[in-house]
Amino acid sequence: MRGNKTLDTLLPGESAYVTQLVENPYTCKLMTLGIIPQCVVTMVRKAPFGGAFYIKLDNHQMAVRVEEAKSIYVEKS
Amino acid sequence: MEKNKNTPIIALLGNPNSGKSSLFNLLTGLRQEVSNFPGVTIDKKVGTLALGDHTSAKIIDFPGTYSLFPNSAEEKIVINTLLNPNDPLYPDAVVYVADITQLDRHLILATQVRDLGIQMLFVLNMIDLVDPGTQKELSTKISSFLGCEVILASVREDINMGQIKDALPSLLGIDSHMTHQALYTLNPVELQMSEQVKTYLGLHNQYQAKLIAHHFHWLTFLSDEQKKQIRSLVSQNGFEDIRLQVEETMSRYQMQQNIVKVAARSSKGSKQTFTDNIDNWITHRILGPLIFFAIMLFVFQAIFTWSSLPMEWIESGFASLGSLVTDQFGISWWTDLLVNGILAGLGGVLVFVPQIAILFLLLALLEESGYMSRVVYMFDNIMHKFGMNGRSMVALISSGACAIPAIMSTRTISNPKERLITIMVSPLISCSARLPVYAILIGFVVPDVMVFGFFQAQGLAFMGLYLLGILGVFVTSLVLKQVIKSDSPSYLMIELPNYKPPLWKNVALTVKEKVGSFIIGAGKIIMIISILLWLGASFGPGDKMELATAQATAEAAKLQVDETTTQNMIGASKLEASYIGHLGKFIEPAIRPLGYDWKIGIALLTSFAAREVFVGTMATIYSIGSDSDEKTIREKMASEVRPGTSIQVYNPATSLSLLVFYVFAMQCMSTLAVTKKETNTWKWPIIQFIFMSIMAYVGAFVVYQWMS
Repeated sequence: MRGNKTLDTLLPGESAYVTQLVENPYTCKLMTLGIIPQCVVTMVRKAPFGGAFYIKLDNHQMAVRVEEAKSIYVEKS
Repeated sequence: MEKNKNTPIIALLGNPNSGKSSLFNLLTGLRQEVSNFPGVTIDKKVGTLALGDHTSAKIIDFPGTYSLFPNSAEEKIVINTLLNPNDPLYPDAVVYVADITQLDRHLILATQVRDLGIQMLFVLNMIDLVDPGTQKELSTKISSFLGCEVILASVREDINMGQIKDALPSLLGIDSHMTHQALYTLNPVELQMSEQVKTYLGLHNQYQAKLIAHHFHWLTFLSDEQKKQIRSLVSQNGFEDIRLQVEETMSRYQMQQNIVKVAARSSKGSKQTFTDNIDNWITHRILGPLIFFAIMLFVFQAIFTWSSLPMEWIESGFASLGSLVTDQFGISWWTDLLVNGILAGLGGVLVFVPQIAILFLLLALLEESGYMSRVVYMFDNIMHKFGMNGRSMVALISSGACAIPAIMSTRTISNPKERLITIMVSPLISCSARLPVYAILIGFVVPDVMVFGFFQAQGLAFMGLYLLGILGVFVTSLVLKQVIKSDSPSYLMIELPNYKPPLWKNVALTVKEKVGSFIIGAGKIIMIISILLWLGASFGPGDKMELATAQATAEAAKLQVDETTTQNMIGASKLEASYIGHLGKFIEPAIRPLGYDWKIGIALLTSFAAREVFVGTMATIYSIGSDSDEKTIREKMASEVRPGTSIQVYNPATSLSLLVFYVFAMQCMSTLAVTKKETNTWKWPIIQFIFMSIMAYVGAFVVYQWMS
């Protein structure tokens, strides 16, 4: 069920749902920030100097680094 | 420390941005005190709450926490307390605050705390933002899910605050811990592991035992032997720390699904687009940074313009207080100590209070509104390359006013290495105290002319000194990034909360607390140093002071000068004969290669307490009564020649060397005191002092040798 796309490949404005999180020391932190399988994530924009993304979830928004986004597998809905 | 059984403890728990601290401020008002959690510099806010019947409770505002699987040092404090019933801060009950619009995430920690078996009151905050129709249903559902009382409230709109207060006595009245079935069912591995830890440590709660198995390596209440035992149990049982944390979190999300669905249905969802619209501009790839610099420019300007008047009041207030003391009690050794030692030192601290208050007011407004997390997002990548975090930007720009509040503001950086680097480099940014020194010396280096027709040459030189400081920050942070070792991973992952108007009560309390801790913390050390400086300048070895006074008096009589000039001449020769004067002569060989004589040496020593003392010391040394008339000092300094030669003391080479020295040198007792307070060890302020002194010495040496 793992798609081959990770969150960092989404273009600004694109939405997708999360299929899986690669297990690493910060997975729990991502989950407690609302990133869990089946949730819908929208890529809003890239940071002015790169390195991070502004993303939007159902009821809130957050920022993740590129490496953090690479651990989130997504599939376009 | 024995736990005080007479005063019950209520812990305020909740996610960051749940409105927890606002509730704390509303419940306790000014009856709160801020101290540190044992062994760390994380703020512990404790308030007293009257419960009626002459009983009271202590209420502790614990740091915002996402779950009992913590990432930051702040969160770890919470877990370290909740897992140890013998901790003096272990709560008798928990008031849990959750934002109704973020219920999916905010319920996770609540279910965990409930499984620890601690009495809980659940406050569902921000009900003004959801459809009233579903509120009752939601409250009933949560109440039966968690098995505790639920209060629908809005801290911001002051809805049902009385109900929360009324519910506390009965919450504390419940004697025993909750005994319901845990919400999360342990899997076989977890069960076996928990049972073994539970038996080994003599615990009563299975979930507590499971969390100890996850976190034993950093829990402070376990002995090394206990840690060793638990470590071997973990490997025996194949207890996979991270995987089991992820599974538990997922399972908790699933068990609360029905409630979250109701909450999602009830959301009005109108505030969302408001935040989106603002962020389209404020976090825009090009406009975002420009808006940030405009805001910072405004803050920087405000610190200077708004504070100048109150700073004058404080200065003149202390001056008149000083002359009042002298008039009242005459001139004696103790009035001199009081006026020129203690009052001067105290004034030196308090004069910065307006700047600090304004800075913290504006920063608190930016923080409260939700803007700060956008800054973190925008600048994280640049700062990360220098071993820092997005939040370091804010601290570095605050340093343009004063490094002290800047260093205090680094508490928001959770990674210890990033925070430490930010603390270490902040004093390299040219602060307001360097301004008078730059102002008096720059005229000896750069003539007052225009370049290219419209740039003022001295203005450009000023900018150059600031840029030199910024360059110092970048170079030093790159070095520290390589040197400082840290095993804690660096994260960005930050919530960008919805914009909301700041709560004035929160802002006011933040400013009061920061200013208060500055006065008390840095004030103590400034006082000691200024008394020492006074002693060093007022006394000399043997009878040398008396001899110097007699000589100066005789010379003044010969020259037939007026009373003021006589006093100034006496002051100057006494300074030379004093302990500090001897110290100046003693260090002269060391500073000779930089182009300085012993008098500049004294100024370097006295301005160790604070840089702006330089101007005052120059004034005393060159026999000028007051440092207010900078032009006269400058003229005196300009006419000063090296003994037996016609070489100016303040030639361009010496002056530029001195300017470079002041850009880099750590000449601020208060900053060192704050670094000590924030890092909890003398190690870092000492290192900071040493590397900044080396930079100053080498920089000044290179400049002087190259120019002369």
